[in-house]
Amino acid sequence: MDDSIKRLLQRIIKRIPFEMLETTLEKWGRLTEAQRNSLDFTQSKWALTERLLAICEENEWSIKSITDLEMIYIIENPNLGMWNAFQLLDPDEGAHSVDLLQFKKQFKSHLSELIRHVSVKIKKHTDEAVWIRIAWGDNFSRPNHLKPTYVVHHLQTPYVFMTSLNSKLKPLLSQALILSTKHQTIKDANLRGRNLSSIRDLLMRQYQQEFPTKYPSPLAEKNQTLSNRHIEAEHAQAAANRHRMACEAFGRGTLPQLQSAVYKLETKFRDHTNKTMTEREEPFRCVVKFTSTNLLESFRHCASSGIASTPVSPLLSSVPSKGRNYFVVTDNGPGPTQLSQSQN
Amino acid sequence: MEGTKGVLSHLNLLKVQARGLKAQPQQQQSRVKELKAKVEALKMQREQLKAEIQTHKKLQDLRSSMDNRRAEEEEEMNEDSENSQLLRLMARHTQLKDLLHAHHLIGGYDIMRTRKGVCVSLATAYEGFYLDTYNLEIDMKPRVRVSRHNIPPFIPLNSLTEQTHMQTDLRPFLDTLSQHLNALAGRKQQLKLVKEQHQSVEVMESNVLCSILVLMLTVLGEKTAVLCTLDYTDHTRSLPTHVRLECEDEQLPDSPRWKKNCSLLMETPVHKALLTMKKMGHIV
Repeated sequence: MDDSIKRLLQRIIKRIPFEMLETTLEKWGRLTEAQRNSLDFTQSKWALTERLLAICEENEWSIKSITDLEMIYIIENPNLGMWNAFQLLDPDEGAHSVDLLQFKKQFKSHLSELIRHVSVKIKKHTDEAVWIRIAWGDNFSRPNHLKPTYVVHHLQTPYVFMTSLNSKLKPLLSQALILSTKHQTIKDANLRGRNLSSIRDLLMRQYQQEFPTKYPSPLAEKNQTLSNRHIEAEHAQAAANRHRMACEAFGRGTLPQLQSAVYKLETKFRDHTNKTMTEREEPFRCVVKFTSTNLLESFRHCASSGIASTPVSPLLSSVPSKGRNYFVVTDNGPGPTQLSQSQN
Repeated sequence: MEGTKGVLSHLNLLKVQARGLKAQPQQQQSRVKELKAKVEALKMQREQLKAEIQTHKKLQDLRSSMDNRRAEEEEEMNEDSENSQLLRLMARHTQLKDLLHAHHLIGGYDIMRTRKGVCVSLATAYEGFYLDTYNLEIDMKPRVRVSRHNIPPFIPLNSLTEQTHMQTDLRPFLDTLSQHLNALAGRKQQLKLVKEQHQSVEVMESNVLCSILVLMLTVLGEKTAVLCTLDYTDHTRSLPTHVRLECEDEQLPDSPRWKKNCSLLMETPVHKALLTMKKMGHIV
């Protein structure tokens, strides 16, 4: 039996947490009844791995079945790596009618035309997402299954999500993607995060956005008893206003989880007390990075509690409204500092 | 003398006639043009009348259902006078809901003035149920522009704004957008109903736009599987533009029974078509 198959199996089992191993193997469904019973989940993980390797030899599993196990685990637990969003542009005539079968066939054939040794596995998940696992080789070596790239795409939408992609291989993957989805170009959407469903929800606008409305619901209670009516009312009004503006900028309820937002500033230094810096011809370059376990939640809290000023600066509200968390800020003529499109 | 006069006048007459004949084609052409224009105008009028009839019909349905409901409610009220206040409130609630529905039927949008422009909310509905509501914030100055919205990215908002000349008139843009969103809501709801009502039908493929639906049907008795692909190419409609059947038994898609099923799927919402096919004993 090929050693690489065993090594891959070993690695995948090592990645899967012990408490998830049983259910994942069950979903995989490649163990016979007897083999399943022979696995003792009270044993140590090391012993279990040994037993699985023996079964692997017994059943003569191919590399395909082992990668299937990995895909099952990754699809269930996608929030382990860093996901990058890309946007497909200029759809062709037939882009709306590309179905899964067609996409699968086209993608595989286009990619294998571009690179000789590549192993592609495509799976459709229940929520209509197409999952692609790519193991790359080069012209001389066989595909390396230990470092696969994962790509997630919802057919008929302009977004693609990728993780662990080598920048050298990006053009090949992009080419195969635009050909098989019938688009003209693909560009970096400048959005990255650890939580796949969050960045997807942000781009697909599947979170609770707040809009001004004539009929605010639920109806506000009118007979609130206040201890000191005059003072309290003043504050409540301002606070409610801040809260509303914060919600309009970032959304209501639970927000998509982003871990960071990066602003690359290339603007002129403005501070009349510091003449040397202000008079410099060159723009002042710096990078501002915000990090948090849930960045949008933090932004919203800052705005509604008054730490950040309201109305919310477009620099901050652009994260949800434009669906990106990487910006290059440049001076745009004599007017106020504006966001400009970054050149990838 | 008389003879010559007669000949001359006859010649004169012929000359006039010849002139008249020359002018005729021109006259005819202009007449054709006139008639064509009239046809166009009449066609337009017909379309308008059709639309009016449809709205009236819908309103009539609504009114009759409202009347029915009211009658029912009145009966109940007599039976149980303790709850009459609650019932009256419920009646008022339905009445208001119907009014809102009528407002949407005649193309009303909920528009609210904001600091820079307006905020429009588009409600979607299918078979009398309100589904998702979408919002658009539109800036009016310096030019009309959608500044913020929660419309999914697979609805081609940008090309819609260009195609409908949003700069000059907002209405056609909102109408087309509402058509797209309502059709999407309709397709989505149909898919949901298929999954809920037809456990024996397997949904093999669908997408977020609900523009492709592949179903696995089983023929009653023979247990042969039929793969049914519904293509919704026209995204402003919630009915398919194309239905394709695939089966191991190659004769099956051409049989009159399945041809009928095909046209049924083209003309009725998919969950209802499946129900009919089930009742007719064509599928499990």
